[in-house]
Amino acid sequence: MDLNDKIEKILEKVQKAPRYTGGEMNTEVKGWDDCPLHFGFCFPDTYEVGMSHLGMKILYGLINRESWSLCERFFMPWTDMMALMEEEQLPLLSMESRHPLNEFDVVGFTLQYEMSFSNILAMLKMGRVPLESRERGENDPIVVAGGPCAFNPEPLADFIDAFMIGDGEEVMTELNRVILERKEKGFSREKCLKELAKLEGVYVPSLYDVRYNEDGTVASVTPNCPEAKTSVRKRVVTDLNSTYYPEEFPVPYTEVIFDRIMLEIMRGCTRGCRFCQAGMLYRPVRERSMEKLIDLAEKLQASTGYEEISLSSLSSGDYSCLPELIRELMKRMKDKRVSISLPSLRIDSVLKESLEETQQVRKTSLTFAPEAGTQRMRDVINKGVTEADLLGKVRDAFEGGWSSVKLYFMSGLPTETTEDLDGIADLARKVIAEYFNVPKTQRAKGLRVTVSVSVFVPKAFTPFQWAAQDTLEKIIAKQEHLKQVLNIKGVTFHWHEPFVSFLEACFARGDRRMGNVLKRAFEKGCLLDGWNETFRYDLWMEAFRECGLDPAFYAHRERSKDEVLPWDHIDSGITKQFLWHEKEKSERAETTKDCRKGCNGCGLQRWKGVCSYANARSV
Amino acid sequence: MRMLAVFEKGERIRHIGHLDIQRSVQRGLRRSGLPVAYSNGFNPHILITFASALSTGACGKREIMDVTMAEDVSEEEFLTRMNQAMPPEMQLSEARAVDQKHPALMASLRAAEYDLLIREKDTADKLVGAISAMMEKDAVLATRKTKTAVRECDIKPLIYELKGEGQHIYATLVLTEKEACKPGMLIEALAKEAGIEGEIRVLITRTGLLGMDENGNLVPLETL
Repeated sequence: MDLNDKIEKILEKVQKAPRYTGGEMNTEVKGWDDCPLHFGFCFPDTYEVGMSHLGMKILYGLINRESWSLCERFFMPWTDMMALMEEEQLPLLSMESRHPLNEFDVVGFTLQYEMSFSNILAMLKMGRVPLESRERGENDPIVVAGGPCAFNPEPLADFIDAFMIGDGEEVMTELNRVILERKEKGFSREKCLKELAKLEGVYVPSLYDVRYNEDGTVASVTPNCPEAKTSVRKRVVTDLNSTYYPEEFPVPYTEVIFDRIMLEIMRGCTRGCRFCQAGMLYRPVRERSMEKLIDLAEKLQASTGYEEISLSSLSSGDYSCLPELIRELMKRMKDKRVSISLPSLRIDSVLKESLEETQQVRKTSLTFAPEAGTQRMRDVINKGVTEADLLGKVRDAFEGGWSSVKLYFMSGLPTETTEDLDGIADLARKVIAEYFNVPKTQRAKGLRVTVSVSVFVPKAFTPFQWAAQDTLEKIIAKQEHLKQVLNIKGVTFHWHEPFVSFLEACFARGDRRMGNVLKRAFEKGCLLDGWNETFRYDLWMEAFRECGLDPAFYAHRERSKDEVLPWDHIDSGITKQFLWHEKEKSERAETTKDCRKGCNGCGLQRWKGVCSYANARSV
Repeated sequence: MRMLAVFEKGERIRHIGHLDIQRSVQRGLRRSGLPVAYSNGFNPHILITFASALSTGACGKREIMDVTMAEDVSEEEFLTRMNQAMPPEMQLSEARAVDQKHPALMASLRAAEYDLLIREKDTADKLVGAISAMMEKDAVLATRKTKTAVRECDIKPLIYELKGEGQHIYATLVLTEKEACKPGMLIEALAKEAGIEGEIRVLITRTGLLGMDENGNLVPLETL
């Protein structure tokens, strides 16, 4: 039976076959032999998740735009497909030309969340690429990775040949050029990795040696060759108007999670919320101009036919001319029946006017993220939002005809007390009261308040990177308490599985030895850990035991100021000194102002011309 | 005016369900920039119908969409612009402009033509060999599955034409709003006749949708 017959046979049996068949609008199928460099872009989760991801669309377009490089997509198959593929001895194949993963020159993973790490191993194995960097030979692909989780690359150091730190738009092409040069000139894999290490923003873990102290903490991470830099500085795209942004997106046939035009209006955030890793990693804030955005919106609408545009960024409400942008987009999109949605609506943005405009097309539920229940707790995390702000926005929304509100909180934040948990319930009650304050004739029917409380996971490069995560017992007790106090008519309470958050905490601040745990867990059958039905906490704990590592060391241990953190050799732009200063302020419940109101001296001021709010004299 | 257009559902995308095909055509229309008519109301949608839903897993050579236009456009323009806007697996082959009062396609649908490719040669030979014996019977029983019930029915009156050639079985089967013989039912009956048990792998391609002209002849639906 030939390859295509095998594939057809499998597709007849598998659930949700369209996940695997490709052929979507705007998916480029370049001739395999027409391009010297083949890049296999791997999203380590299912098709529906991966196709919702903006970064993949950007890099897919960027690589295919170059005449000399071709980019094809790979996703993590679901378990039924994996079993069928194994039965037929089929390797992991690309969506476009059905080439096996190991025939690509570069295999690139995007690291969006820690719980996708086991899928990376699964995809490499299915793709017949040796799992560990040191096992790969001259004919194996160079395996690279980027994305937010690349900022603490250590848990994946054994499996990834080179990490791209920071914005990918520029470094991606530079990296591909080096690999193309190797292919043309035929130099060794080792030389290629050393050449990659010379690029700014590229970290090649095999060129660094890690030593540990007796207590298990890291003693040092040092380069073992001259090409490797002592500190790898993240890449920053300084001008979003001139950097590449796709004018067409692949349009899936089946529904995926975010099935619409995503218009990235800005990158970065100036708020400085202390729990938020993205807020730290994506600094500085950079805006796309209104002209550019309107041009992109029109081109993307024409090339995709999508019915909806969402403005995406970490804090869309902070975009300098948001009301004008929304008004202009609405004007131009009205006849095309395209609605505009604002996903991460911040409650303290001046948006009342815009809210009224949004509903003229479609009214969905509004999401607010106060993150914590009391003002003290919000000050600790530097979420510069007051109860009055929140209730004011909620009132506006109810008066504007909304009746469905989602509230997002975190539990397990440093210094949290029972009072802070009760504050969540108080806030929910006040939101309900705002609804009933609107005269019956003026408000929409069917009040729905959804309260979601996630478990706080301390992350690298945040002021809470030294903090201990709550133990599982504590988290479960807090969730029980929340269930009781949130037993309020009209409120639906959602909480997150604490076990996943615990494991996430281990990887988020893990060192190189976590790679052993990952490999062992994968060998035991762990994969698709982001999905309830496939997550195997018991197997993960077995893997820790067998590797002689204690997960509590990573999750529940408070670090001291002078401890060498496993990611200290990565320069995110923000200094450790600034983060420590922020940590101390948080303990005193002192807030830090928005960078737009004056430079706080996070460290970016060291890099000339990178941050428009930077002041070189700041401390 | 309305535009009746013939389009393909290619082999690569045969596992896409009807609802997703509908959405893909609508997005194609939106990409094309053609002046299509929208419904009124809160969530406006394109005024479009399809002559018949094609099952998940089946390919279609001549599927038909019926699009209401807000302004008149020529058939050529419709075809050109849509083919630029549609993916390679969903290209259009014909378009015909009709009057707003033209009868609904669904109501005129009488039958469908199929090309059934039997994947295994031995099985194909047996099935093709069983055709004449089966058609000589007074009744041909097959199971009809609906959402609520499974029952036996006689499909013989639902078969207009049936012949085999190599690994292909060509069939013209009744398909109306009220009754239909699905290709699976035909294969099941043939398998029973040939004494084959177990799963049979068939690639189903619907090659045409037919209506009836005033002389009682089956003709392509879009020509009516």
